[in-house]
Amino acid sequence: MNALFSILLYTIQITLPFFMIIIIYNCFKSLRMGKRGREPFIELLNKSTGEKIPVMYWENSIGRSKSSDIFLEGMTVSRDHAVLFRREEGWIISDTNSKWGVLVNGDKIEGSKRVSIDDTINIGGIELVVKRVRDKNTNSGKKRKKEEITFDTVPQGLLLFWVTVFHFLASFTACFHSEELNLNPAIAFGTVTGIGWLCFLVTKYGFRRVNFELESLGILLSGIGIITISAADIKETYMQMIAMGCGIVLFLVILFFVKNPESAMKFRPYVAGFALLLFVVNIIFGKIKNGSQNWISVGGLSLQPSELVKVAFVFVGASTLERLQTAKNLTGFILFSGACMMALFLMGDFGTACVFFVTFLIISFMRSGSIRTVILICTAAVMGGVLILKFKPYIVSRFSVWRHVWEHVNDLGYQQTRVLTYSASGGLFGVGIGRGCLKYVFASGTDLIFGMLCEEWGLILAVCSVMCVIFMGFYARSASTRSRSEFYSIASCAAAGMMAFQMSLNVFGATDILPLTGVTLPFISMGGSSMVCVWGLLAFIKASDERTYALKR
Amino acid sequence: MKNTRNRSLFIYFILFGFIAGLVYFIYEFIVDAHYWAMQPINRHLSEGVSDGGKILDRNGVVLSETKDGKRKYADDADVRRAMLHVVGDGCVLIPTSVQSRYTQELFGYNIVTGLGAPKTLNTNKDIELTLESKICSTVCKAFKKEKGTAIAYNYVTGEIICMVSLPTYDVYNKPDLSKDSNGEYEGVYINRALSSSFVPGSIFKVITAAVALDCIKDVESKTYKCERLKIYDGEKVTCMSSHGKIGIQMGLCKSCDIVFGDIAVDLGRDVMQRGVEKFGFNKPINVDGITLAESKYDLTDASEADLAWSGIGQYKDLVNPMHMLMIMGAFANGGIPIQPHVVGKMLMGDNIPVFISSALPYSRMTDGKIADKVKSMMRYTMKNQYGDSMFPGMKICAKTGTGEVGNGEKPQGWMVGFSEDKNFPVAFVVIVENSGFGIKTAGPIASIMMKEIRKSY
Repeated sequence: MNALFSILLYTIQITLPFFMIIIIYNCFKSLRMGKRGREPFIELLNKSTGEKIPVMYWENSIGRSKSSDIFLEGMTVSRDHAVLFRREEGWIISDTNSKWGVLVNGDKIEGSKRVSIDDTINIGGIELVVKRVRDKNTNSGKKRKKEEITFDTVPQGLLLFWVTVFHFLASFTACFHSEELNLNPAIAFGTVTGIGWLCFLVTKYGFRRVNFELESLGILLSGIGIITISAADIKETYMQMIAMGCGIVLFLVILFFVKNPESAMKFRPYVAGFALLLFVVNIIFGKIKNGSQNWISVGGLSLQPSELVKVAFVFVGASTLERLQTAKNLTGFILFSGACMMALFLMGDFGTACVFFVTFLIISFMRSGSIRTVILICTAAVMGGVLILKFKPYIVSRFSVWRHVWEHVNDLGYQQTRVLTYSASGGLFGVGIGRGCLKYVFASGTDLIFGMLCEEWGLILAVCSVMCVIFMGFYARSASTRSRSEFYSIASCAAAGMMAFQMSLNVFGATDILPLTGVTLPFISMGGSSMVCVWGLLAFIKASDERTYALKR
Repeated sequence: MKNTRNRSLFIYFILFGFIAGLVYFIYEFIVDAHYWAMQPINRHLSEGVSDGGKILDRNGVVLSETKDGKRKYADDADVRRAMLHVVGDGCVLIPTSVQSRYTQELFGYNIVTGLGAPKTLNTNKDIELTLESKICSTVCKAFKKEKGTAIAYNYVTGEIICMVSLPTYDVYNKPDLSKDSNGEYEGVYINRALSSSFVPGSIFKVITAAVALDCIKDVESKTYKCERLKIYDGEKVTCMSSHGKIGIQMGLCKSCDIVFGDIAVDLGRDVMQRGVEKFGFNKPINVDGITLAESKYDLTDASEADLAWSGIGQYKDLVNPMHMLMIMGAFANGGIPIQPHVVGKMLMGDNIPVFISSALPYSRMTDGKIADKVKSMMRYTMKNQYGDSMFPGMKICAKTGTGEVGNGEKPQGWMVGFSEDKNFPVAFVVIVENSGFGIKTAGPIASIMMKEIRKSY
């Protein structure tokens, strides 16, 4: 190869990580800028005291409990008395099984009722009048909202444009890195770009949404994964591209489906039932692949039902504030989680079982707020874990090489040692996409993909890729009070936590910081079901961004 | 919703947990990346995917290079066998070899670019050794089926001219070690010259002599009485024959155990311990970036007979061959040895030297006058005991040794020495493991080695 050309390729290779940092920075900057300020929507005027209580959130709990969003003192006020929340049609008050009930304009309500400005709500004898926030400009509620949520973000098309340029440069180097011209990365680039822009157009002109940061990041990461495996001449690349398309479709469908939390809540039992059915089918018809029985074949296509159940799990776990206050116990969800984890154990997929377990902890804590429950569950889990280790000795053998992989270079530590050796060979900027040697190792495209990133793209870019998912987690958490419903808050935190934990198992398993478990790296790992699932999870994070539904172009 | 905000902090456990893990990984990466990358399993290195520099001997003979994407070694199979431990194999199994230690220079590995820098930007260098592969090959063949090591170096410049370690193998024809049932390839990945220590036997007497010359005033005029056997505090020390009345010079020449046993006992534990340690015993010696296997001299819990035995190179005494070579260098060079090294030059691009080795003195081991006295005693021994015909045309000072290892195994045969001639400043150490008398086993190999070196020097 021409010396000058190889220097050009290497220069591009070095610029890629910095380029990626700029893209990630701008995406999260845009997400931050898109946040609403801390002004209240409306105010409640306490008739007897004249006190004005600001209504800060989309869903507000009203009660005697100190942690209520609207705290009312009075013997006749229940601890969790009612919920005042905002939907498309306006503000709604819902009595959450209070002892003394809720009256709107003097009439006792059954369930929930819409309230308008200047209506009087009676909560256990305390009279509250719904008032507009007094402001310089007394516009109608809908117009105000537009001003609160700023338009002043990074142009969303520009974010995707940068992602496309990044992918172009990466696939360009990948095409020339083997001895002869390899066109696979070019095809990968074309497809990813096509899918990405199609998604952008549908979002912008079809759904008329203004925000596209999370999708841009998802496309960025998916593209990195697809270009990596296309350059390694792995023939499943086209499946991965189809999966990315399917994932984005699922993403859009979920966003549409959960638009109204109340109607989405009604589907929870069906989704839970469907998820369990998937597991049952899996256990009966499943094929054993690489030690665990988590594959089913449908018309020549291999599917991993457990991946799809992850999306269902988050959906089933999430709940609106209203529902949380009415039905306080977690029994249903605990039973569902227990069934899921039992199914995973039967299939022998312990990595995924751990992911489900941690997600279960996040959801149950966010719903109940009880540290005691979490500790109790964890203790039970540790005891269960010990029992499992007793009955499944091959798992113990995995633990035995943990932190001792260099003593087992050619047996149980085979994969981890290769990951470390080739990661180190990549240095900070990588040996070049498609020029790695880790691709010859079993499961390089799935369990060991982090090693491939380190080797071929370099440590900096690999770290950026995983940090991108971590930032999504921070974003999900910071958006939790700004969400249009508790349903979105719980779902987005659970989804982000699930992705982050799964990523920990993948990255640290491959690098011998944790025992190797064999789960996929979100967005990047090869695997159709996993790709579809992770886009499904991303939909929950996206749903928690209030601009997603509240704001139209 | 306020509750949600507080409870959602829960996912910080996972997020910060991940960040902590990632920071730990990056820390490990920074500390260990070099070790990870230079593993034998790395196909970038062994298959020459990464372009590597050449390793040449002092005459420019190519010992290792990357050609057509593969690592190639010397054309001559005997040279490949002889140079294995110095050059290394494709699998980086020999940690002290040049190919394992100079990966950064040879393959241009560094933590920033990894092995990924394009060839035109590659900073890899060619390494020219101080060794002469032809001599090494001849010496290696002289070992026949025996195990051991033979090293020779220029005690003025520090250049190692010959270094072989056996057993060895041809890199193109690796033995299957799992099928090695009779120990034919025992310790094959160890360069015995650097990473082993052996029972010295009588070669240790030169050190005892040096300590005696330093600490016993009239030791040269003193005589000892050898009746083949002497009882020290109830335990016996034996000699090869009954030498009668005998002085230190004759004692060294005849290798009388009683003389040096008596000297050690006369000197006493503390003086012996301190005197011997001045020569570099019981401490890690770093030669050319390699820490040698430690030479041991330990008198804690030693009885009087043990002390006597320790003076004649038995008891718990152990000597590393490269360390012994430095001691020879010290006697030849007025008490200060020059550090031996194998890398002579590093070349970049069109043979532009970017590094040229130089003579680096090690710390003083003994007084100049004492060194000269030991030198003359060793010369006397060579002339009168072994005969100059072993090393025609050379003025060699030498001492043989037979280190008893017990357990019914044959002793370690040693021959150590140096040329007195300032125009031919070469010191040598030969050890043949579990072979028999040093003069019979190590002697012929030393003779072949020195004759070969003489030819080209």
